[in-house]
Amino acid sequence: MTAQVSTSSGSARASAANPALASSAAVWPVAWAMARRSTVGTLRIPASVVPMIVMPLFFVVAFGGAFSAVTMLPGFPTSNILNWVAPFAVLQGASFAGFGSAFSVGRDLENGFYDRLLMAPTRRVALMLGALLYSAMRAMVPVVIVVPAVLLAGVTIDGGLAGVAMLVVAAVGVAISSGMWGLGVVYRTRTQRAGGLIQVGIFAAMFLSIGTVPLSAMEGTWLYWVARLNPITQVLEMARSGFVGQVAWAEVWPGLVALAFLFVVLGTFAWRAFRRLDQ
Amino acid sequence: MLFPLLIAAVNAASLNRTIDLPGFPPVDSFLQFLLPATVIQGVLFGGIVGGADVALDIQNGFFDRLLSSPVARPAILLGRLGGAVVLGAVQALFFLVVFVVFGATIEGGVAAVAVLVVVAMILALAVGGFAAAVGLRTGSQEAVQNFFPLVFVMLFISSAFFPTTLMNGWFRWVAERNPLSWLINSVRDLVIYGFDGADAIRAVGIAAGLALITVAMAAGQLRRRVRAV
Repeated sequence: MTAQVSTSSGSARASAANPALASSAAVWPVAWAMARRSTVGTLRIPASVVPMIVMPLFFVVAFGGAFSAVTMLPGFPTSNILNWVAPFAVLQGASFAGFGSAFSVGRDLENGFYDRLLMAPTRRVALMLGALLYSAMRAMVPVVIVVPAVLLAGVTIDGGLAGVAMLVVAAVGVAISSGMWGLGVVYRTRTQRAGGLIQVGIFAAMFLSIGTVPLSAMEGTWLYWVARLNPITQVLEMARSGFVGQVAWAEVWPGLVALAFLFVVLGTFAWRAFRRLDQ
Repeated sequence: MLFPLLIAAVNAASLNRTIDLPGFPPVDSFLQFLLPATVIQGVLFGGIVGGADVALDIQNGFFDRLLSSPVARPAILLGRLGGAVVLGAVQALFFLVVFVVFGATIEGGVAAVAVLVVVAMILALAVGGFAAAVGLRTGSQEAVQNFFPLVFVMLFISSAFFPTTLMNGWFRWVAERNPLSWLINSVRDLVIYGFDGADAIRAVGIAAGLALITVAMAAGQLRRRVRAV
């Protein structure tokens, strides 16, 4: 926290001279210090690191093994189930990165540390940005675990580096979105015991999409309409674009729009609760 | 109870077209295929969560007070496991009603329902026994709940969510040798094909075998803890 304290006091001094300029300049160093603190806190507890590594791999193995036959469905976009499952496993891991971030903020709120952060002479938005920055950084874990693993298992990524880049964009976007959702919940409940509620929201958003099969295979069911309206479907199509063919702008732009939509809605949900924290 | 139902609802909708794939058992719908697995999944998850209560009793000192009271030692364990068995029956009936309301058919009729409920009760005893054994051994609620992912893995690498005939490689090899697959397949046959005495005996026998092992484990851990007091 040394960096944070020095940054905060620096911000206060600078604010006296030119408040607008100095406070905006101090936001990112404080956010970075917050993200760094969360990262160090996570690395200190092996029990929290192991699931981050094991769960996405288990997801690939479990879904890839149990549902390998779904590729035989008419119109399925790939013949290798791992091409289909790997991006979903990465996004699933990324969504839980956001959960982890919100959970640690819930702990800080419970033990009173967050009140001390709120009293610090810095722009408050840096506290929220720090948590989201941590979510985005943690989203890289499932990417660097799953992609090499499926390449070793014989997967060919037709989209190449562009395909992996789209997966990274989608993973970071999902992690930030789930972080915003989680922060919105813990800012309101002020307890990490709200973790169950956060998980239910994330679980529902991820599974009520095209995680297992494409939209065409769901036609005629209630899930078809839910998945079609779920923004995660577009994000998942963007993440998968390079894994089931060449990256196509027609699949990328709806994913980017869906992420922008999620940022606005969930960001507002989190920000409104954050502003009421000391009331 | 909601988590298994949510999984079932999503899978039933997203995988319904797979029932036409060659090699898929002759089911009316994917919902019918999922019915036995959802009951067993609910009992497994509920058993682990409920089983953690023994560890909670140890953690908060209530277990020591029970030991110092003039009650027979086995009654402490039997009371907990008895509760798990009743809960297993309630869960099974609840899932069955929900599935039937949403259109799943049970070809084996009332007899199959009875077997499914009995299997759920015995399986609840098995899971409760396992959770109690871990709880009595460690005295930690967290240690019991740490077995939750293991149950999840066992369930996934089985015939619970998809037929093993449509799996490949090592995954299929493991799934076909998973006792949960044997249990689920036996009960599933009652639901899909109609009542058959051999299937019923096999299902009850597998659940009873698992229960015998885990209750013996729990009893052994209870004796060990009583001796240590």
